[in-house]
Amino acid sequence: MLYDVRHETRFKYASPVTISHQLLKLRPRRSSRQNVVSTELDVTPHPFVQREWTDYFGNAVQFLTVQEAHRELVIASISRVEVLPGMNIMLDFSPGWEVVAQSMQSPTNAEALSASQFCFESPYVDVHDDLRQFALKTFTPGRPLLDATMALTSRIYEEFTYQGGVTDVSTPVRRVLELKKGVCQDFAHLQIACLRAIGLPARYVSGYLMTHPPEGKEKLQGADESHAWLSVWCPELGWVDFDPTNNLIPNLEHVTIGWGRDYGDVSPVSGFIFGGGKHEVAVGVDVVPTTASVA
Amino acid sequence: MSEPQPTSDALANLLAGYQPPAGTYDELIGPDGRPRPHWHALLKDFAGMGINQRRTAGSTAEGLLREHDVAYVAAEGGSRRPWHLDVFPLVIAPEDWQKLEAGLIQRAKLLNAVVGDIYGDQDLLKSGTLPAPVVFANPYYIPHCHAYKAADDVFLQFQAFDLARAPDGSWWVLSQRTESPAGIGYTLENRIVTSRSIPDQFNANNLHRLAGFFRSFSEQLARISDQHLAVVLTGGPDEQDYFEHALIGRYLGYPVVESADLTVRDNRVFLKTLEGLERVDVIIRRIDSDSSDPLELRSVPGHGIAGLLQAARSGNVMMANAIGSGVACSEALLSFMPGLCKRLLGEELALPSIASWWCGQPKEREFVLNNAQRLSVRHAFARRSLLTAGAFEFGETDPALADPALLKDRLALRPYDYVGVEHIRPSTVPCLTADGMLKPVPMVMRVYLAATESGYQLLPGGLVKVSGKDLGTESHLSKDIWVLSNREIERETLIQPLRAATLKRSDRDLPSKTADDLFWLGRYLERADGGVRLYRNLFLRLAGEASLGNVPVALNILTSLLVSQGRLSPSRARRALAAGSRAVEHEIWNILFDPDSPDSLAQVLRNVARTADHVRERLSPDTWRIIERLTSVPNLRWRVHTVSDAVSVLNDLVEAQSAVNGLIHENMTRGYGWRLLDMGRRIERARYIIRVMRELIVRADRDHPGVLGLQLELADSLITYRSRYRAEPQIPAVLDLVLADESNPRSLSFQLATMRGHMEVMPLEDIHGHLSRAQKLLISMHTEVLLADVDKLANTTSRSGNRTHLNRVLNRCEKGIENLTDLITQTYFSHSVGHRVTGNVIRENADDAV
Repeated sequence: MLYDVRHETRFKYASPVTISHQLLKLRPRRSSRQNVVSTELDVTPHPFVQREWTDYFGNAVQFLTVQEAHRELVIASISRVEVLPGMNIMLDFSPGWEVVAQSMQSPTNAEALSASQFCFESPYVDVHDDLRQFALKTFTPGRPLLDATMALTSRIYEEFTYQGGVTDVSTPVRRVLELKKGVCQDFAHLQIACLRAIGLPARYVSGYLMTHPPEGKEKLQGADESHAWLSVWCPELGWVDFDPTNNLIPNLEHVTIGWGRDYGDVSPVSGFIFGGGKHEVAVGVDVVPTTASVA
Repeated sequence: MSEPQPTSDALANLLAGYQPPAGTYDELIGPDGRPRPHWHALLKDFAGMGINQRRTAGSTAEGLLREHDVAYVAAEGGSRRPWHLDVFPLVIAPEDWQKLEAGLIQRAKLLNAVVGDIYGDQDLLKSGTLPAPVVFANPYYIPHCHAYKAADDVFLQFQAFDLARAPDGSWWVLSQRTESPAGIGYTLENRIVTSRSIPDQFNANNLHRLAGFFRSFSEQLARISDQHLAVVLTGGPDEQDYFEHALIGRYLGYPVVESADLTVRDNRVFLKTLEGLERVDVIIRRIDSDSSDPLELRSVPGHGIAGLLQAARSGNVMMANAIGSGVACSEALLSFMPGLCKRLLGEELALPSIASWWCGQPKEREFVLNNAQRLSVRHAFARRSLLTAGAFEFGETDPALADPALLKDRLALRPYDYVGVEHIRPSTVPCLTADGMLKPVPMVMRVYLAATESGYQLLPGGLVKVSGKDLGTESHLSKDIWVLSNREIERETLIQPLRAATLKRSDRDLPSKTADDLFWLGRYLERADGGVRLYRNLFLRLAGEASLGNVPVALNILTSLLVSQGRLSPSRARRALAAGSRAVEHEIWNILFDPDSPDSLAQVLRNVARTADHVRERLSPDTWRIIERLTSVPNLRWRVHTVSDAVSVLNDLVEAQSAVNGLIHENMTRGYGWRLLDMGRRIERARYIIRVMRELIVRADRDHPGVLGLQLELADSLITYRSRYRAEPQIPAVLDLVLADESNPRSLSFQLATMRGHMEVMPLEDIHGHLSRAQKLLISMHTEVLLADVDKLANTTSRSGNRTHLNRVLNRCEKGIENLTDLITQTYFSHSVGHRVTGNVIRENADDAV
């Protein structure tokens, strides 16, 4: 599936901003399931400093500084991405979840070691006993890891209401568990916290959804915006994605930007500005299937 | 008083009650029941002092600490607590120290290599030498620090270790401090105070001096910093150990800056100074790693510098210590030290750690669960402060984990977060009791190492902590450590700041935030000064105690003065006035002594204290001491019962203020900082004069000898007037003296002339030889005042009885002063605080709030 992705962030400030540093994690990531045909960044006003590097988790980071006084900053990331179909995952054929949790205590190979860093609390994901209890209702003894993870994904989808405005970045995961409400970020964090509370490796994935589904198909929740879901690590198979906001295993409709321990590691646009007064942010995302040739 | 000669009797007396507990090591008394040889010199001298002199030494030390205002901020409450010291030091024998030194240097090297590996290849994790959760579950592990370029591969420029001595006399490491170890400033202070309190004993012992260590450390930083600046980065006066941030800055000669003073441009760090941006190469980091960069790391308002991590990671600024260094502080690491040492250094670990069991491993977890009573069970990644703890607290079980059932639950959920540590039975050290005798008390000690050109170097000294409860006091005590040497020690002084000789003459690297604080310190000091003069006069007049020759003044004039100076709200003034002189007096009491009233003098003095605290490292110890005295006066309310009490308090304040002014005038170098402080003063004084004149002289219907006398007194010009005119005050002569007379330091024109002088020298304001806006403003005000015709000012009145001409001049000057203040603020203090924004509209979040 080939997509044209446009992600535009527009800041409007009440008074001039003298310096604006922006840390961007906007470039879709190349992987075995995703081919990045082209990607570019368009920033107005033109940044004085622009650097790029790859962060610890392998995501592309762009850093820029706008040093001329401005009242509006527009950051547009434009990419063409080919999403390849995932393999058919037999959920029942994964190892029992306790075995995986056990293996994380003393990882025996590089891949497991790398996965094990996603087993613990991180700045936006607290691990508490309530979350463990919540997870254990689904993670019954001996249940295959991926089967149980999919069941947990469905439970979150069914028991929680998608509702904006009730939570914010600082809302702890435990509070989301009480509220039973939130948005994709909360649901991803919640499921990650549940998995980590029972010792399993889970990471946060940032990306997009197809915004204009084919006729007759309903638009998924979270389209037109940045989206977030999670990934769990399974020996032999590697990382497998789950989307609790839409109750599915992402396949052709999800475009991945990158991943980390939680939102903090992959926040698409975070800035630090001097001046500006009150500000408004408008974000627009278009993910449109295209028939142009991959080459 | 004749001193008894030191005899064996005196010594026997001193030690008569000294009985170390069985089964522990005592630092003083050997296994044969006699003092160990390295204590002999000190003991003999000390016994010779006699009880009284020993007690005096103790109170001398307390006095010095109070005078230097040595304090720390207790983590819980945020209130400042005085630092306490026992003058009787811990003496360590040369051979004992040498052994320790070798072991500590090895450990410092090792921990540096561990941090390098964690943020580099992670060979320790891949090889299983270190279990992965010790790193990954550690909240102080910051993945973004990977690929960090540390100069010479030194991540930890500075380390500290807490040690205790086991019953067999060997030393054990209790904890390792790698983030930004606290206490070395207190160690310096302890040395200074101890050496002054018992100078003869200090000189009689051949002990290592501390200055050499600081010199090596500072040389190392200078070598790395090339030609640019090194700064001490602090979280500010509310930090637990801000006292020592200021002290270290003063001692090493580096500016002490807060996050808002620094900025990152093009991946390099700069200090915002009065003359623009100055490149910073070295940052002595005294803020937490995880809030050091609001862009890449946690965003805490007011903390961190956006872009710092990337600048540091790319090697463009050297952080001492590297961001993320705290990963090696954990007690979870202790039991792995022998293996790490073999793997990284190919050596056996020389200095053992206290026995510990990290619960991330099944067998160890089982052991801790079964032996919880015999161990200290604690959070493996928690940070424990030695500054606020005594020796015992240090080894205690976390009270939250004391319940076995709870512990089991916790270990089931997050076993890797906990560690069991062997109970320590530390050695005992002699402490001076309140009655001048010695008592054995358990101790722990903290020692410091710094990276130098020739490798890690150990500070030959350190900090001993003992629990106050062992001595019957609330607060914990610290002690100096005297490390004896077999070789003749070169006498070096600690008192001289190290870079004194090389310091630049001008304060070009005055951070603009510090400049701002100095400006405000000047303003607050002057506001307090004006206030105190005002109140003193009002009190005297209200009480009918006016000094000879003073004529009473109507109550409404007195009240309106308070309103015009912004000391009293108009509505309260109206109410008080209606109720009579007692009510007005009551209001003045309130303004003076009510700590909660926003108009109170206490509030103004609190502002003086706060701003002075921000610039503490720029004030001489004497100035600081007087400011302390000044700002603590309002707390003495209980002392005030009558008007004469109040007047005597106010007199004290006037004296203290004069002393502060005198010290600042005498001792502060005439740099930009001093000029801004003085500008602040002049601005406030000018405003004060203008307002008093407007209340008392502009209104011709108030012409009255009493009012004119009050005007002269408030302007501190009564004596001058009397000596000059020897007559009842007349309007034109009064106007001349307080408005136009340039020889009167309290006249308006004097303030304007002085400010003109300052602005001629201040940077940035002299652009291509043209006059700056501030200069133009000052010249026009000054000229207007100088050219004013005093008779015309006095005699041009409106029908309603106002001196219109005078009023216009005063209004123009007041407006001009206001504009000048804005200009100064814009020109010099543009350190606007930045804030974080995110392009995430999935939710409007808390840290978007401006």
